[in-house]
Amino acid sequence: MSLTELADRVGVTIANLSILKTGKARAIRFSTLDALCRELDCQPGDIVAFEPGPPMDLEEDEEG
Amino acid sequence: MRALGPGSVSSFLKIILDVAHVALSVGLGVVTTLALAALFFHFDPKFLFRDAEFNLADAQTARQIVTGSLILGAIYIAGVLVIVGRLRRIFATLTAGDPFHPDNVRRLRMIGLVLAVLELIRYPTALITAWLAPEVLATRGFSPNLTAWFAVLVVFVLAEVFREGARLRREAELTI
Repeated sequence: MSLTELADRVGVTIANLSILKTGKARAIRFSTLDALCRELDCQPGDIVAFEPGPPMDLEEDEEG
Repeated sequence: MRALGPGSVSSFLKIILDVAHVALSVGLGVVTTLALAALFFHFDPKFLFRDAEFNLADAQTARQIVTGSLILGAIYIAGVLVIVGRLRRIFATLTAGDPFHPDNVRRLRMIGLVLAVLELIRYPTALITAWLAPEVLATRGFSPNLTAWFAVLVVFVLAEVFREGARLRREAELTI
């Protein structure tokens, strides 16, 4: 399945799918996760995983 | 009546700010030219004080007051011009329907800073006026403007509100 097709089926833009893929996303909606798991026939744990490291800085992007 | 977006109150206010910006730019040019002329050319200040309530004996002092007033006027107009310029840009983002643009935080902080500086300038000005021409201060009087300081604090708090708004906007952008 191509990225365009997946974006179409899940109902997100290719740009957002790319943000998700590159790990730049801050959060993921349950509805998006649900749609992704449905289309990819997988579990949430196959998409998201915890990687040990410094805590996320919530202020880092605040002023763009 | 909509507050944000094209054709809203914001776009109407943006037009008013555009006009004010042009008028202030022209005013700044005129006052700066007059201030430079007063600094570098000799003039007789008596004609300015003919109908004034106070009576200045010394023409030299009168000349200094006129020149100082023109320089202060130019600084004041420049400050107001900076404020109006920043407000124009803020209202441009409101007209575009994007109030929590990250740049608005910096713009609001600048407005607060300029408001504070304009208020602070009044104190040494009053001191110098009291020294050079006590009659002028006696006629006009002087007191710290609490409303101005209140406005400064409100603008700085608003800047923080916009900072939080910009952070939430960024977070919403990165929520897939």
